[in-house]
Amino acid sequence: MTQFTLYDYVLSGNCYKIRLMAGLLGVAYYTVPVDFYPGHEHRSEPMLALNPSGTLPVLVADDLVLSETQSMLGWLATTFDRSGTWYPVSDANLHAQVLQWLGFSARLTASVGAARLNAMLDWPVDVRAVRAASRKDLDELELLLTDRVFSGRTWLVGEGPTIADIACFPYAALSPDAGFEHDGYPAIRNWLYAVRSLPGFVTMPGIHPLHELREDTHDG
Amino acid sequence: MQTAPLGLLRDLDPKRVMRAQVGGQDLVVWRASNGDVSAWDNRCPHRGMALSHGFVRGNDLACLYHGWHYGSTGACSYIPAHPDLDPPETIKTAVFSVAIADGVIWVSTKGVAQPAPVPMASQPLRCFHVQARSDGLAHACRTVAFEGGAPEQIEPGLYRLGARRVFVLENPLDEDRIQVTALVDADATPNDCAALSRWCDAVRRLAQTEKVAA
Repeated sequence: MTQFTLYDYVLSGNCYKIRLMAGLLGVAYYTVPVDFYPGHEHRSEPMLALNPSGTLPVLVADDLVLSETQSMLGWLATTFDRSGTWYPVSDANLHAQVLQWLGFSARLTASVGAARLNAMLDWPVDVRAVRAASRKDLDELELLLTDRVFSGRTWLVGEGPTIADIACFPYAALSPDAGFEHDGYPAIRNWLYAVRSLPGFVTMPGIHPLHELREDTHDG
Repeated sequence: MQTAPLGLLRDLDPKRVMRAQVGGQDLVVWRASNGDVSAWDNRCPHRGMALSHGFVRGNDLACLYHGWHYGSTGACSYIPAHPDLDPPETIKTAVFSVAIADGVIWVSTKGVAQPAPVPMASQPLRCFHVQARSDGLAHACRTVAFEGGAPEQIEPGLYRLGARRVFVLENPLDEDRIQVTALVDADATPNDCAALSRWCDAVRRLAQTEKVAA
């Protein structure tokens, strides 16, 4: 049974956050493809009537209409994660750290996400500014993930994956689309690998599956 | 090209693949299931795909494009589209000499890899890229204070920072970009490492700022 409707664009890292979280939680949903490029359908009158901010994705569940990915991730985890680990709201410190990273994920969207849109679709942005911000944000992510390596941990918050990891994963993983390779970011590279190893992981163009996790001796 | 430090073994678990560079040579560096590290020309002999996009299958590296497998000698061992074919020995990627010492991956594109001596009992700190020249990096290392005190350069690459020492290894990537592999005293605590990691960030920022100013 489908649990919600996602207004979706396949190349969008923000839309992918929701597809990925739904995949990891095993939640079925209905997709409405929106012609973001070249059609600019997300700015069409019917879409603006649904979501006045004119952004994608949009999540609709009965009367609930969400247009911010952080709120969607929180709603998905609170509604469908019986373990309560994906969004640890009962622990004040963990909860605050998750919120901190959700804020960071919005910065990544504004920096790497914008640089990527410019590189892929010639989207009009202040290229100098978004590229400088991308470098700064990736450096910050690398530093804080390196701290986690020193303390023997894998994930951004606590001992397991949370919506913080899912919120930050797409644009960190897609940064090579904007020319920011992962060669100089070993901690980011290993954390991306950990996310890609999760059961239920789903891919998108630019993020391929980990073939090595399938144990067949030979394949293509 | 002499033997170059390509990062930390800590950052490359078995069955993982990464991309690196030595003296303009693009490399795939990967670790087999048995833990062995290999460094090859980053190009599949079949269609030229970067092997760093590939994946480890047992002790072979498989290309992401058509799944051709290459064993530890760099020779093709299996072609999925022709499963019964024994691939000719001529299908082979260029293999470079690798040595692991002090937790660092060393690679030479000419002859046998000979790691530089590390002048202390060490553990891995971190590996990062800096957009600067070697003299700018060294200047930043001598300049950026740590816990209120000025660094003391003990010898080239070796800095005393408070009670700790950091050894900075360089791999020049191009004219003004360096891959840095940093080691710290073996008995440094995780808190020491986190603080010194921030010192590395400050060094990078200063080296890059001065490069822009120059």
